[in-house]
Formats: sequence, structure tokens, C-alpha cells
Amino acid sequence: MGPLSRETWAQRLGAFRASPSAFMAGPEGEDLGRDLLSELRSEKLSEQTKVSLLALSLEYPAQLWPDATAAEAAATSLLDTLVLLPPRPSALRRPLLLAATTALVAGDALGPTSEASRRLLPLLLGLASGRDLGRGFGPASEQRPLQATACECLRELESCKPGLLGGCLGLLRGLLGQEGPVQPLSLLLALALRNTLVIRARARAGLQGLLMAGDTPSGGDPWNWALAEEGDARLQPQAPSWPAAEEECGLAVLEPTPEEARELRAAVAQLLDTSYLLTPVAQAQLLWLLGWALRGLRGQTPVLFKPQLVRLLGTAQLTLLHAVLALKAAFGEALFTAQDEALLLRRLTVAAQHPALPLPAHLFHLHCLLSFPENWPLGPTAEEAAPLLLGPRLCRGLLPSLLHDPMALLARLHLLCLLCVEDEEKEEKGQDWSPRHYLEELLAGLRQRAALDGGPRASATLCFQASHLVVQCLATQPTVLTPLTHGLARLYRARPVLAPHFADLLDRVGPELGEPLRVALRQEVVSGPGRDEALRWHLQILAEVADGNAQSATLGFLGAAAAHCTDWGLQQALLRVCRALLRAGVGGGLADLLQALARQWEDPDGRDHARLYYVLLAHLAGPKLGVALGPSPAAPALASSLVAENQGFAAVLMVQEAPAPVRLSVGPHRAAGPGPVLQLHVEVLEPAYSLELRFRGEGQVYAPLGAVHVPCLCPGRPCRPLLLPLQPRRPAPTRLDVRALYTTPTGLTCHAHLPPLPVNFADLFLPFPPAPEGDKLGFFEELWDSCLPKGAESRLWCPLGPQGLEALVSRHLEPFVVVAQPPTSYHVAIRLPPDSRLLLRLEAAQEDGVPVALRTDDWAVLPLAGDYLRGLSAAV
Amino acid sequence: MAQRAVWLISREPGTPFCGTVRFSRRYPTVEKRAKVFNGASYVPIPEDGPFLKALLFELRLLDDDEDFIESRDSCSHINKTSVYGLLIGGGELWPVVAFLKNNMIYACVPLVEQTLSPHPPLISISGISQGFELLFGVQDFLSLSQKNDTELNTKLNQLPDLLLQACPFGTLLDANLQNSLDSINFASVTHSQKQPAWKVGTYKGKPQVSISITEKVKSMQYDKQDIADTWQVVGTVTCKCDLEGIMPNVTISLSLPTNGSPLQDILVHPCVTSLDSAILTSSSIDAMDDSAFSGPYKFPLTPPLESFNLCYYTSQVPVPPILGFYQMKEEEIQVKITVNLKLHESVKNNFEFCEAHIPFYNRGPITHVDYKVSFGQLEVFREKSSLVWIIGQKFPKSMEINLSGTVTFGAKSHEKQSFDEICIGGTAYLKLHFRILDYTLTGCYADQHSVQVFASGKPKISTHRKLISSDYYIWNSKAPAPVTYGSLLL
Repeated sequence: MGPLSRETWAQRLGAFRASPSAFMAGPEGEDLGRDLLSELRSEKLSEQTKVSLLALSLEYPAQLWPDATAAEAAATSLLDTLVLLPPRPSALRRPLLLAATTALVAGDALGPTSEASRRLLPLLLGLASGRDLGRGFGPASEQRPLQATACECLRELESCKPGLLGGCLGLLRGLLGQEGPVQPLSLLLALALRNTLVIRARARAGLQGLLMAGDTPSGGDPWNWALAEEGDARLQPQAPSWPAAEEECGLAVLEPTPEEARELRAAVAQLLDTSYLLTPVAQAQLLWLLGWALRGLRGQTPVLFKPQLVRLLGTAQLTLLHAVLALKAAFGEALFTAQDEALLLRRLTVAAQHPALPLPAHLFHLHCLLSFPENWPLGPTAEEAAPLLLGPRLCRGLLPSLLHDPMALLARLHLLCLLCVEDEEKEEKGQDWSPRHYLEELLAGLRQRAALDGGPRASATLCFQASHLVVQCLATQPTVLTPLTHGLARLYRARPVLAPHFADLLDRVGPELGEPLRVALRQEVVSGPGRDEALRWHLQILAEVADGNAQSATLGFLGAAAAHCTDWGLQQALLRVCRALLRAGVGGGLADLLQALARQWEDPDGRDHARLYYVLLAHLAGPKLGVALGPSPAAPALASSLVAENQGFAAVLMVQEAPAPVRLSVGPHRAAGPGPVLQLHVEVLEPAYSLELRFRGEGQVYAPLGAVHVPCLCPGRPCRPLLLPLQPRRPAPTRLDVRALYTTPTGLTCHAHLPPLPVNFADLFLPFPPAPEGDKLGFFEELWDSCLPKGAESRLWCPLGPQGLEALVSRHLEPFVVVAQPPTSYHVAIRLPPDSRLLLRLEAAQEDGVPVALRTDDWAVLPLAGDYLRGLSAAV
Repeated sequence: MAQRAVWLISREPGTPFCGTVRFSRRYPTVEKRAKVFNGASYVPIPEDGPFLKALLFELRLLDDDEDFIESRDSCSHINKTSVYGLLIGGGELWPVVAFLKNNMIYACVPLVEQTLSPHPPLISISGISQGFELLFGVQDFLSLSQKNDTELNTKLNQLPDLLLQACPFGTLLDANLQNSLDSINFASVTHSQKQPAWKVGTYKGKPQVSISITEKVKSMQYDKQDIADTWQVVGTVTCKCDLEGIMPNVTISLSLPTNGSPLQDILVHPCVTSLDSAILTSSSIDAMDDSAFSGPYKFPLTPPLESFNLCYYTSQVPVPPILGFYQMKEEEIQVKITVNLKLHESVKNNFEFCEAHIPFYNRGPITHVDYKVSFGQLEVFREKSSLVWIIGQKFPKSMEINLSGTVTFGAKSHEKQSFDEICIGGTAYLKLHFRILDYTLTGCYADQHSVQVFASGKPKISTHRKLISSDYYIWNSKAPAPVTYGSLLL
């Protein structure tokens, strides 16, 4: 694409910003990154346009150059552009440095092997040191801003690769002491120092003189990629997380030598002494970093911070007060005596209500007050609580009033609730305006506001949020909850349109308020006429609060309301109440009502629904009914209760397809009894009740098989083998198709298809009745002879394994041996249901096999017997 | 400490999206860190469109307040700070620092250097206060001497360059954006080592120091037995020091006359180098007694170039400047009103202006007024249903003035008449607006001799004072009125 004009670029950038993803997916997306880099060198574009191109690359490098290779190439191109700039003042140098840094970091290209990194880093350090880098780097007037920018770039690199500048600490200290710009160097040094301390401590290594001032770091390359690799493993928070005493960060293991400790102290003192030259936000950053760096470091007392505190406490700056709180959390009593703590708390209290500060600052200070890092906290630190020193007197100006903005009101209300808790713990003081009394008045005011006809939803929401907050904090205080319950019931009477808020509140509060409020609301609804405009809301509330209590009043109300439910929506709302009653186990009167509805309503949907409920009520036992009407496990996320309900029915009243809850396997063969019986081992995967296993043989070889029933199966609980009697129509192996039907613990009926079970030829073997003692041979010979001429005869070679004939027989044929002359000769007679026989003579066994003579009265058995015998040795 | 992204959104009710993103800036290197720190709880910064929609929804600024929406209106969805969680693309973007000011929404997302589930307490996140400071800074910059939309647009167009200076990588370097603007222009000035970061250049010219004290007085008056009236003075001291040298030292002292009311809750500008502990500890939380520190209040400082608020204070003066009562009784479509105002004798009776605004909420337009005033004139705003009693520059010699009358209202039409949640039924107020020049209620002043300047040349020192009313309410004593806890402690 040729060079683009300023307007075209403006248009293109606008389109990109509107939706980067859409733009990149479009036809121009692919070229944008490349075009941008080439246009930066175009002589036609103004600097201002180029700055806006660079600004884009600062924000969206991942979209422009999506992989490390592209990012590396982009950074190289940006650096080339920088070097090629003519030596006159230019607005491009700063953004080019920022853009190259951003491209490398965001593209994951930063590293010791990256050529661009190897060019950028020395350039940045050279600029930061104020060294003269030659004419490419602009006129003298630009040196100072470029020096600051280079420091910022280095700081960002150090943030993303902690430890990278571990080798430059001495150099940075030196620069700070000489002529460098104070703020960028201070922040860079503080960050590098903090990172080095943390990484060294983790590696259990000392500081190794890293802090010693020196112009150039010893040994060539100042980049500590090794340290950065260690740091990279765990990116360290620049500000410590709260309130954790950082044992795991374990700076305590770092034991600096006295000399190192002195150097460290000197470096920190140097930073703090000039900190007033920093902007307030930068001062705050410095304090967070240094607080974090010195925390837990042995031999380092935090008194270094002390001279700064008074100055910081006096200001109105949010960040500075926040940083002081961070120091408070980090050092506790070591830095703040009890008096200091009290002063800090008072300043915070002042800041939380000072009329000169904006509302967001008030709210944040109030949050800090309730999360105040006390020296000796009493309760669990995770919860918001009023600090011990914050008595009712201090809080007086922080209490809510109706005139406050909603957020301020809620924040202050929380404080008031905490005071009420304390107030309750102390003795009743007999004072007219106890906090609790005030709380009641306030809530009444909120309800009055919410009750206003046509008032905004926000005021109703606020009223319910306040009620919820109060219940959360004061759930155990009936003196608060009783008036609250009555007040809310009155609010409902005044404005039934708030029913969704009531339903929401009931869902979220515990039984302390929930129980009495349900009763009060039900009372409120059923005592009404049931035919006013608010019927819809009354029905919504009833669906929420109806239970087994006050049945007749509820049913009476519904009966009266039914006639006014002329549209579909109202009918469904009424049915929802019926459903709630069904679940609560309400019987008789409800059946009458449902029948009446099924007759009376004209809308077929409503009528059918009523009939369905009636059928359910009449036919399902209580627990099943409860499950049928309970929340649907199939569609918990659906908002429409009707859809959910239908899915619930479908789920409960229909059989669900499900993965098998058990795994079946065929156990050892039992050759006993009148017919063959398959022994099944059960491995339970999921709990199942009323399990019914259904079997079907392939090809109708067997008579239909009976189902096997198991009342209850639980994983981990042993289960006896199941016996499945087989009735073969002819003696042949087959496969059994297995299906399971069962109930889950949630009450669903499920159906599962299990893998087919093989029935082997040998599984059908049965012994003959015992031969008469003394004439076993005769018995066998008689059987042998009876097979012919109808049957068939065969001879085959049965290979033997290393164990020999005796082992083979005892393993497979033992129950069927009629005459035995171990180890060489066995006569075997097998009964094959329904009425076949298989006779074997195994005689004159040799080393590797035995010749078998076999006869059967059923010629179809011959190939099966042959396969069986040939497979025996392999089966051993 | 860093921010992942910043937005400015203008609120435009009635338009399809109810707002437009006027400015946004993302910080990809910070985002990179967020991904590592937040781990599984990481939610990426969305594009502007989805962010706008989610934020306006959460702030209740969409025009769809009609229905109950659980994710916004649920009673358990309680926000007690200006920090929100936005549901975007199946995840929750948190923490979003955001507030609305003058129809502009200021928002940013600070980096949290740990996992986000569960949410760590806000106090543990350094980026929260940094984010607030950034947004306050942008807000100050936009509101500074801004008069119309064109100026706003000019300033918005400057923002990308300014943030490139003040917040190049998402870590805020200076919340004072005007400073950054100057530093772009001041680039040629040579700096010395001790140059503070908050002072981009040096002043050249005639030395002068200007100090102005503005006190605002607010009050809630009930004229009731069981509820105490309250009033409070809030002072702001603004300075501009045009002095040569890099770090000129200045000490400014505020003094009180012998019967002056002590200053309390003093918050100072960060350029103040040290503070007397008496200044730090004097606070309105404590019970007042005669031993309270009453000055002089000395503030040693190194001034920045621009005009700055040296300090803020509050004070509890013994009496309100104007004490009054307001009685209103409803009689069908009419209300009868009686107002009495009395200027305290100690107050300078020389106003720039003084007016009493008497609004009638939740009623129809005014159709008729019968009235009698002992002083000044009454203006009737029929459509707005309000009366304005213009008292003028001076109270009469008796210091006391009255208004009585009957106001008749027409039928209420919902669209036109203003709705108020507080002024229901008889609950009503009148609000006083006045301004007195060259006067403070506390008596606080800074005289020329109290300013010490340690710099070359004797500066010209000018001082100004004024008192302004702010939230000065007198409630109808014949009906319930909203009270604060303080009013109940008689």
C-alpha cells in the first residue's frame, strides 16, 4: 500500500479504535502493523500524526504484532527510526522509546537473546545516566526529558522482569546523588532495590555489595538476566498484599552484613530525604516500595520513615494517606505507637467526612477506616469492623442520614450497624437517641421514600439494600428485626409493585428475618380481597411465601383470585402459587381448587396446567412430588420459571439417558444347579437406587432373561455378585445386551446402556448327576455309546502349556470329570442345556499336547467344542 | 500501583447508548502483569463498546430503570465505594474505579498484584488510590476554566499527549495534568538537580503573593424543640506565589481575632514542609473548649508555580449568620407559608447578594400567590413551582425580615413538575443563597505582615476574603424533616 495521507490515517485509526477486533478481522487488519512502522519514516506525515501512530502502538502492540518475532522486528524498526531522526528537536524521540519498550514487553520478546533488547537496554541506560550519546539523540534541550523517559522505560522493564537492574543499583545511587532528575531516578532505584532484596532473600544470597556506588558495574554487561530469570519465576507484587505478615516472602532470611545494612539504610534514607521533591502520587509509590523493601528485613528499623509521617498526615491527598496506612500495616507497632495510631485514626475519620474532599474520597477513607490495620486487632482481620479506638464519639459525624447519596448512605449505615452491635453488647444506656433508635428512624425514612408512588427504582433498591445490610450485621437482635419486619410489611401494603424486591430479599436473608417476614407478607396478601390491580404482585409474593401454614386463608384467597385471573400471565402466576403449595405438601383443599381451575378457566394452557398439577397431586407420593416440582437440575440457569418447570417435569417424569452408574463383569463359572447361571461382578461408579438390570441375548439363542433388581448401590460399599440364570434354546455362546434403569439420589429416573456381556461356550457347561460309585467307567461308556449314531465324533489335538494335562483339567474341567487316572488320562462328560452332551477322552498325554477323542449327540456343538479345546492352553 | 486502562465517558441520556466514550487509554505492559498476577481470575480489559454498556448499567445510567434486574437491583448487590465489578463476557472485571461528575464518567481499572478471587480488600491495593488520584487529576484538568463544549473538546484532544507525559506506562507520575502540559511547553528550561518534579519551571517577573480565603457556611435549621439546628463553616485558602528561584521558601500564617472561632480539621497541600502538631490535632471530633488552639496557623512551604489550595479547614462558629424559621401548612390546593429571617448582629451587613429560594416539590404549577414581605421583593416562578425572595444587599436596621403568604397550585402533571424524594407532603425547605465580600465568619485572615518570603526581592502581597452560603437550609417546622445524627444530640 502506498503512503497514506493524514486524513486517511486519522480515519483508519478511528476505525481501529472503535473496535480493534473487528478492524483486525477486516481486510486492512493484517497490514496495519507493517504500514504503521513504515509510515513513521515517511517524510510526508507530520510529527503529530506520527505521534498518534505511536500512541496506537503503545496501546495495542499485541494486535499489531501478535507474536514474539513480529514484536522483535517492530522494536528493531522503531529503534532504527529513532536512530535515523535528524538531530533537531523532535516530539518523536520519547514516544519511540516508549513504543520500543512496550513492543518488546508486550510481545514477550524481551530477553538476553533478543537483538532489539540488546540494543534498547544500553541505549536506555546511557540516556538515563545522562551520557552524551552523540548527535542522533537530539539537542541538549531534549536530554533532560529523554533522561526521565529512559528511567521510566527502565522502570517498566524492571517491573516486568524483576531483578533485571539488580546490577545497576550502585550506578543508580550514584546518579541520584549527582545531577539526575530526582523523581524518575528515585522511583527506579526504589523498585530495583526492592526487587533485588526480594530475589536475593529467596535465593538465600547476600547483597554482595550490589548497593555500592560505582559508575560502571563491574564486569561488562550490567544486565542481570540471571537475577531476572529468578525473578521471573514469580512476579512480585510491587505493593504488598494486605494484611499478610509476609513470612513467605521471607525477607527475614536475608541477613545483610553490618556494612550492607549500613549501605541499605543509607540508600533508603537518601531516597526518603529527597522524597518531598516528588509529586504526591510518586511519593506514595516510593513509600509503598520502600515499606515493602524493608519489611521484615532484620536489623532495619522503620524509624527512617518517622520524619515523613507528620508531613504526610497533614495532607488531603488520598494516595499519601493510603501509603501511610500501608506503612502502618507493614510495620505496626514498630513504627506507630498507640498514640500515633490514635492520631492516624482521627485523621482518617476527618478525611472520611471533610466537606472539602469529594465523595469518592470519603467513601474510600471510610472503607480504610473499617479495614484499619490495628496494632492489636481483636476480631478476624478479613472482615470489616470498627477499630477499637473508633468510639461512638468519633463516629458521630460519620453516621448516615437520608440526605446522603446512596453509596455514602450504605457505607455509613454499615458503620452505624457496627456501632449498634457494640451498643447492644454494652448495657442499655437509657438514652433517647441510641444508635439503634436512630437506625430505626433511618430505615423508616428509607421505606417511606421507597413507598412513594412513581418514585425511581433506585430508591426502592436502596431501601432493600439497607434492610439487607442491617439483617447481615444485626441478625441476632430481635429489637431491630421486629420493627424492620413490620415496616417492610407496611411498605408492601403501600406499594405491592415492589414484590420483586421482596422476593429477592426473602431469597437472600436468613431465617431470622425471613421467617417472620414470610408470615407478615402472607398475612398482608391473604387478608386482602384478591381482586385488585396488584393481584399479579400478590401472587408473586404468595408463590414465595406460601407453605403449609394458614392453608385455608391462602386457598380462600386463591379461590377468590382465580375468577380474576383472566389472562395467561395471571393464571400462570396463580399456578405458581399452587405449585408452591404442592411442594409444601398441602393436600385436600388444593385438589379441589385445582379441579375447579381445570374446569373454570378458558385458556387451555392454564387449564391443562391445573389438570397436570391435579394429576400429580393425586398420583405422586410426597417425596416424588417434591422432586418433580423442585428446581430443575437440568436447567438451573433458565430465567423463565415456566420453562424451568416444564424441564423439571420432563426431567422427573421422564426417563433420562445417562452414563452407566455401574460396570459389570462376568465372574468365575459356577457349574452347579439345574441350569447355567452367570455370576456378575458389580463395580459401583455412582450411587443408584432401585436399580433394574435388563438383559437380552443376541439372536434369540436363549429364552428371554429375567431382570435383576438391586435396591441400593453405593460406591465404596461392597456389593454381592449378581446371579443371572440362563435358559439356552441351543448350546451356543452369545452376547448379552445390558440396560440399566435406576433412580438417582436427586430423584431422577435414569436409563443407561451398558457394554454387552459375553456368554462363553464354557459358561453353559453343567455336570452330569454323580455316577454310581464303583461303576463310573461304565456310566461314562454308556454315555459315550449313546451319542452315536445320531451325533458326531471327532479327534483333535489339544496343545498343552508348560503345566501339563493335570493342571489344565483341574483348572477348566474339574467338575465334569467322571473317570480320572492322573496324570495321563481323564474321561469328561459335560451336559449342555437344554439337552445336549459333550464327552471327552483325554488320554496318553505327551509333552506338548494331548489327543482328545470327543463325541456329542449334537453335531452343531462340534466346532464350538473344537475351538474351546484348542483355546484352553492359551486361556491358562 | 499501575492502571490497566483509563476511560472518559460523557453521559448522554436519551441517546441509544446513553453515553459515548470520549477518551480511552490501555496499558498493555500492565495488562501483561495483570495476567500473571491474577492467574485464573484474570479478566481482560474489554473493548470500549462493551465496557461502556456494562459501566452505564452498573451505575444505573441507562434509560431502563423500569424493571427489577437482579444483577443490579438485588438487595445483596451493595456498593459502598466508587469501585465496581462489571459483568463482561462471562467474567467480572474488578476493580473498576468510577464516578460521575458533571455528566462525565471517569473510570479506570487498577492493577491488582494478586489473585482476584476472593476480592482482596481495597485498602490492600495501592492502585486504587492511585487510580482515584489520576481520575481526580483528569477531572481537575477538564473543569479548570472550562466554559463550553469547544473548550472541553480541546482539552480532551490534549489528553493523549498529557497522559503520555503523566502516565506513560500506566503508573501515574503526576496527577496535576496542567503541570504536564506546562512541562511540554517548558522543555527548553534548564533544570538543576533540586528541581522538584511538581514544579516544571521557574517564575520570572515581579514577585507577588496572593492569598484568598473563601468560607462556605452550611446550615440545617429546624426550629424544633427536640432537634438541634446545625451549621458549619468550611474554609479554603488559595494561594498563588509568583516568586523567582527554584525553591523559594514561604511561610504563610492565618490569624484569628480574639473572639474568632478556632480552625479545625485542617488539611494542607503537600507543598507544606512541616506542620505544628496543634494544627494536626485540632479536630471537630473533639468537644470544644476554651483551650482549643486558636492560631496563628503557620504554614511553611515551597510553593508550586500554579495557583494551589494551601489548606482546607472547618470551623464551628457560635451562631449561624442568619437564623430563621419557615412554617408551611397545606390546605387542600393551597399552602400557607410564613418565613422569618434574622441576621446576627456580629455579621457584616453588606451582601453582594442575598436570596431565599422556596421550592415546592411534587405539586402542580403555581397559579396564584398572595403575599406580604416586610423587606425586599418576591419573584414567582410559576412553572417551576418556586418562589425567590430577593433580599438584596442589606438587612434593615431591625436585622429581621418576614414573608407570609398563600400559594395556590394547579393540577400536577408528571412530566413537568420536579419530583423530590425528600419533600413529600409537608416536608419542605427554603434555601438561602448569599455572598459577603471581604469577610469571613470565623474571622480568619492573612495579613500582609504575616507572610514571610525567603527569596530575592520584596513581593507584593494581596489578600482576599469572602463568605458564601452553601447548602443553607431552613426546614418547615410544621412537618417532619430529615435530620442528621448530630441534630439529635441536644
